[in-house]
Amino acid sequence: MSKMQSILEKLAINPVQAVEDYKKKTGKGAVGCIAPYTPEEIIHAAGMLPIGLWGGQVELNKVRAVLPAFACSIMQSIKELELSGSYDILTAVLCPSSCDTLKAIGQKWTRKDVPMIQFVHPHNRKLPAARTFLAKEYQHVRERLENVIGEPIPDEAIVQSIQVYNEHRAVMREFARAAGAHPDLIDPKTRHLVFKSAFFMRKEEHTALVRELTALLDEAPVKPWDGPKIILSGIMAEPDSILDVMKELHIAVVADDLAQESRQNRVDVPEDGTVMERLAEQWQNMYGCSLAYEHEKTRVPMLVDMVKKNQADAVVVAMMKFCDPEEFDYPMIKQTMEKENIPLLQVEIDQQMQSVEQFRTRMQSFVEMLRHE
Amino acid sequence: MEQALAQAGIHLEDAAGIVATGYGRMNSAYTDKQFSEISCHAKGIAHLLPNARTIIDIGGQDAKAIRLDDRGMVQQFAMNDKCAAGTGRFLEVMARVMETSLSELQEWDNKARTVAHVSSTCTVFAESEVISLLSAGTPKADIIAGVHKSVASKAGSLVLRIGLQEDVVMSGGVAQNRGVVKAMEAELKVPVQVAPNPQIVGALGAALFAYEAQMKKQK
Repeated sequence: MSKMQSILEKLAINPVQAVEDYKKKTGKGAVGCIAPYTPEEIIHAAGMLPIGLWGGQVELNKVRAVLPAFACSIMQSIKELELSGSYDILTAVLCPSSCDTLKAIGQKWTRKDVPMIQFVHPHNRKLPAARTFLAKEYQHVRERLENVIGEPIPDEAIVQSIQVYNEHRAVMREFARAAGAHPDLIDPKTRHLVFKSAFFMRKEEHTALVRELTALLDEAPVKPWDGPKIILSGIMAEPDSILDVMKELHIAVVADDLAQESRQNRVDVPEDGTVMERLAEQWQNMYGCSLAYEHEKTRVPMLVDMVKKNQADAVVVAMMKFCDPEEFDYPMIKQTMEKENIPLLQVEIDQQMQSVEQFRTRMQSFVEMLRHE
Repeated sequence: MEQALAQAGIHLEDAAGIVATGYGRMNSAYTDKQFSEISCHAKGIAHLLPNARTIIDIGGQDAKAIRLDDRGMVQQFAMNDKCAAGTGRFLEVMARVMETSLSELQEWDNKARTVAHVSSTCTVFAESEVISLLSAGTPKADIIAGVHKSVASKAGSLVLRIGLQEDVVMSGGVAQNRGVVKAMEAELKVPVQVAPNPQIVGALGAALFAYEAQMKKQK
């Protein structure tokens, strides 16, 4: 087995196993982090395993009683998994209030043994008061977590965890660059799984593996790629079967702006201030995300820059079905891409999608169109 | 496949190249290559009607709007979502509710005195709306004209997404229904041509791709 293959196997995703192994190894539990953004550093500092909750391909039954059909599939599947007891292995769950559906999720939590800790990201992010407010929200998260585990989470431990996370973000940014240069070695699904595996591992372990993987990629010769090179934007590009279609169509994902992938690593936690203020300021500094309000909408020019910097042929917006914040951004993206003469395709994302044939038709037509450009 | 070859009066060995298109294209054992139906409809229309700049292709399970450049290449396209509204399947459901057949819808449309309002957003809701209209005594012809308007409105929204440019051409099976074509013209406020044999334009495009590939090989 090649060295690269062996690293990728170590990054394989098995959430239940990861939680059980971690409990066995450390005696400590795991805390669920509902998508998209949570202050994982606090959980990490408590010696626990933060687990990213981004839904999954599950049959939706119980959730029909509590969420309307027009809630996005991430929230539908998170709620289904919660109602069916899949999250009972967790010690607690953190839930941001980034959109209307997330607010409802927090209110409808049913697992009494797995406390839900909800917090609010302020939307007027740039005001000094926003930092004060969010620092208090995070302090509240910390105190609730301390109550659940029965131990204090010291400042020094959080400072150390911030360092671990900043290092992880930097390594992931490097991986994204190296993977973009080597689509022959890292196909769209593998790229996605490397990002996703970070949600089921302590970040220091993930950093070590991805650093090694990136070094191997950097050592490999850069080969010419004759397929289309795209930038993926949106909340997520799942189910995996759509990435398989991209591989079949010889598409290279040269960079992404997905909430589940590169947006997680876009902004580091700054150096100055108290620990809670530092974590809060990271949210103030976040940019280019539909869920982090900004008047200037930097996402649009950012995507144009990404196309130029990565010599991409096109942008593909993976539009999460029923995601208002993403839908609000789309007209601006479309208008700008047309002006810049950058081909753009919107594909609908539904985690419960069983057949990918309609997706294949759209994607294949787009590839055929690009070949004639 | 055997049936198609028999109808064309040729044998499999006679085909120098085979290109598949449509939803079954990935499963065809005979093909050298496969292209999406969007590319094939564009190819077919560009061959038949070189001045076409906007294609509205409404088939059994989806609807597409395709914008062509002056070389007949696809510039942009938009497809309906997974929902059946605005597709041939929608017309099938409505024909069944009104106890008529697909082929008779056009004749009924000709008899319409006014156009009944039928929702364009959902096949299921539209079905119950049609039943309510029937119960209220609305003439069948007016309801059918409303159904056609509903299909045109859905396809019209796809055209708006890619930007309307003349000449506008309809392809796909639904283009055989003059009622829908008339409603499409009213919706877009421009003349809409119907491709000759609209149902096989995609197949013609696939054949043209196969032909071009052979020509390239021979050079």
